[in-house]
Amino acid sequence: MLLEKDMKLADIIIHDISLVPVISRFGILLGFGDESIEGVCKKKSIDIDFLLTILNAFHDPQYLDKKYLQSFSVDLLIQYLRKTHQYYLSNKIPEIECLIDKMELESTIDKSSYQLLQKFFKDYKTELVKHIDREEKVVYPYVLELNNAIANDEITSSLIEKIKKYSIKSYEEEHDNVEEKLTDLKNIIIKYLSPSQNQQSRFRLLKELTALEKDLAEHAIIEDLILVPKVELLEKNVLIS
Amino acid sequence: MSSTRKIIVVTNAFLFSSGIESLALELSGLLVEHVYTGSEKKLSQKIIGAKPEFVIIDPEAIKDSLIPLLRELNEDPEIITIGLVNSSTSDNIISRFSNTLNTTGNKFQLIEELQRIVGKEVAKSDNEQLISKRETEILKYLVMGYTNQDVADKLFLSIHTVMTHRKKINRKLGIKTVSGLTVYALMNNIVDIREVERSI
Ligand SMILES: [Fe+2]
Ligand SMILES: [Fe+2]
Repeated sequence: MLLEKDMKLADIIIHDISLVPVISRFGILLGFGDESIEGVCKKKSIDIDFLLTILNAFHDPQYLDKKYLQSFSVDLLIQYLRKTHQYYLSNKIPEIECLIDKMELESTIDKSSYQLLQKFFKDYKTELVKHIDREEKVVYPYVLELNNAIANDEITSSLIEKIKKYSIKSYEEEHDNVEEKLTDLKNIIIKYLSPSQNQQSRFRLLKELTALEKDLAEHAIIEDLILVPKVELLEKNVLIS
Repeated sequence: MSSTRKIIVVTNAFLFSSGIESLALELSGLLVEHVYTGSEKKLSQKIIGAKPEFVIIDPEAIKDSLIPLLRELNEDPEIITIGLVNSSTSDNIISRFSNTLNTTGNKFQLIEELQRIVGKEVAKSDNEQLISKRETEILKYLVMGYTNQDVADKLFLSIHTVMTHRKKINRKLGIKTVSGLTVYALMNNIVDIREVERSI
């Protein structure tokens, strides 16, 4: 289903509950009333094209394949990506850590297995932090610099040098998949942990892992299919001028 | 250790039978096959006929016929009898069981006791046959931090063969990353924690 601006936001959320964390990144909180997407955007001065693109991309993974370059600004995009990172690091990761810790604490005979899961997830977190750090400290600043230079018409030779040394192409190549380990973790829990009474906790953990997995995959799609092409265009503009 | 080990429970108390079932669930490989009440007809024949490995008996459920029943069960060398006891159970009764479980213990103590009785090996889950011997060997080297090339050299295989095995391992286990494989290998005692310390 294609999500459009005159649809009621409430209907869309009922239809796909996993969009809740997405809208909250735009500052739309539950209890938003009965308005259309357009109405909500107006009230909150949110760029509607941008919100619709993100919602559609999240709702239907094939959506971006059909889409041409979007009109919204790179600033907006990076703001959103940073917020998403923040959501992973201060919400999702601690929640999952907490669930695993609780299971370890309550476990009786299989303590060592849960300790392995704790260790696995701790390493995963380190890796994710590194991934995010690289983007926030190297990739995004580079993109913003390009964008500002074009906007202010201040294209320096050092910027051109920079593009030649580090283009967004290298980011595209180095951009690794951070969901794979979550899938492994889910398989371990489903198939290989000894059966025990704590099924409810395991179910909750699986739900959290699945939600994070989906969110990360979507986030990566936005980076690969929206950010990268946009930046390629910016690079081209700088090099031509 | 692939077959499940059967338990028969004799008690009138629902709390005991359901409690034991939940303990058995914690130790994979154990199965409560039947719960009998003390008044069950031909109890000893039924128990012996079912060929259980463990018979857990609540002395309260049987009272007078307890001693003859235990005598019969203890004659079968395959059967291990476990008495559900507490501090007021007489020594005379306790001494007739091959093992006892203290019913006033907390969950952790009960699992410990039961595990000690049934033997440690049942606690491990049963995944060995999921991947072949060769694959297990390759998995072991991979999680110890060896590269495909190292493994190929060690096992006198071509690198191509190692890669094929590796893909098979990933597919069979549903685990793709080395960290995931490491957790699997440790859980199934394919490697020791000290052997992988460098790589995880
Ligand atoms: Fe990112
Ligand atoms: Fe990323």
